[in-house]
Amino acid sequence: MIRIGDVLVSRGEGGVYGERMLGGARVWDPFRSKLAALYYAGTGIELAPEMKVLYLGAANGTTVSHVADYVEVVYAVEFAPRPMQDLLEVARRRDNIVPLMADASRPEQYAPVMEAVDLLYQDVAQPDQAKILIRNCVFLKPDGKVILMLKTRSVDIRKSPDEVFRETIERLAAFGLEVIESTWLSPYHKDHAAIVCKKHSKGVA
Amino acid sequence: MQSYWFGDAGDGRCQAADGNPVALAQRLETLQTTMDGFIPLRWEDAIACGICSDRAGYLSLLREVCFIRAEQRIREEYAGKDTELLQMVRTLDEMDEVINLLSERVAEWHQVRHPTFSRKYRRTPAHIQIRRISEKGRGALGKVAVQVEQLSAARTDLAKEVSLRATRVLPNTSALIGGLVAARLMAHAGGLLPLSRLPASAIQVLGARTALFSHLRTKSPPPKHGIIFQHRRVHNAPKDLRGKVARVLAGKLAIAARLDYYRGVAVPEFLDRAQERIDRIGGTES
Repeated sequence: MIRIGDVLVSRGEGGVYGERMLGGARVWDPFRSKLAALYYAGTGIELAPEMKVLYLGAANGTTVSHVADYVEVVYAVEFAPRPMQDLLEVARRRDNIVPLMADASRPEQYAPVMEAVDLLYQDVAQPDQAKILIRNCVFLKPDGKVILMLKTRSVDIRKSPDEVFRETIERLAAFGLEVIESTWLSPYHKDHAAIVCKKHSKGVA
Repeated sequence: MQSYWFGDAGDGRCQAADGNPVALAQRLETLQTTMDGFIPLRWEDAIACGICSDRAGYLSLLREVCFIRAEQRIREEYAGKDTELLQMVRTLDEMDEVINLLSERVAEWHQVRHPTFSRKYRRTPAHIQIRRISEKGRGALGKVAVQVEQLSAARTDLAKEVSLRATRVLPNTSALIGGLVAARLMAHAGGLLPLSRLPASAIQVLGARTALFSHLRTKSPPPKHGIIFQHRRVHNAPKDLRGKVARVLAGKLAIAARLDYYRGVAVPEFLDRAQERIDRIGGTES
């Protein structure tokens, strides 16, 4: 990841959402983007120029635009029409974003355009985040990586965030993913956690 | 063979689809994919198909197709007749908030200018008082009061429009509970489709989020009603019957919402029976 001093940045055309510029690079704010927060609060996955990324829950394309600065192509999936309008505007000016208006819990909606990806990134506010992730693992290369942004408050409000966090990790492990990092995103995002996994190279379903 | 956006490919063979972006977007819409044993595409197959000549060409065509498809989908989403009503209801609720806030403030301000003035023991409704202030108030105070009045007038018009439109978009729900409340229910659910999929128990407490979650988290009693409290049958019912009225009403509303979504026209035989059932609670049955 590119850092100027200890400020995380990405190199690309600025002015997407009024982000600050630093030495010609776009400042990637951990308080606005959960992925940026992961790079501050933990290790994450190093984004590289040849990477293909499937991004679930692209929203307004803020974080997507930074990811697109780093990698070869981003397949950005978003379900709601309002944010999709913004995402399209971002994608129009970045020729490595493929915008997909579809439901991340129904991968068959966008499967016909999907090639195998190196990284599966998920940031959706849905109760069953683990299930959505597992369904989408079909698009992952044998040595692919996964980053799950867990909104513990969206999963089950009655359970404590710690409980949700632990249960999700157990479910991913039971599916056959190897959890390599799990961390809370405080102080940047409250009750949000990041789980980083590796697909076993032997290949899972 | 697996069907992809550019054609059918597999086992080194490939059958190209019509390469025109609009036709490809059309194809994407109709493709039925099953995820069992799905194999992600190899972009090199698209070259073998003759659909593009290199990686850059591949991505640029794919992007073009996806843009067409996404723009179509957005248009489809917005074409539903409930989308504008949604915005209208939210505007209405926000206007209410603004008008109340500003009226309060203007009255307070007026009171400071007139030390002998008090609202105690006065029968004048708030909007009449605002009108007086707007007529007599000097400087900025008068101007703000005028604006509040105009906002109130716009709010009245909007409320009428919401009500009218709701009777078209939600004919059955509106018939049971009134256009305005029906529209509010729909706005809280996020649209007609989501409303039609809600269980009656959820409709009953729609708009009582704080109370509901405090119940789920602590041991506080569950809310009896949310928005549907605004219906006269609920708020006029004696306190010990309100929960029952709300429950029955919500049950009928859940059916009404489904009729609204799947049929889109008023169903008199349902409405008569439902109305009769709701009317029965407060009276004989209790």
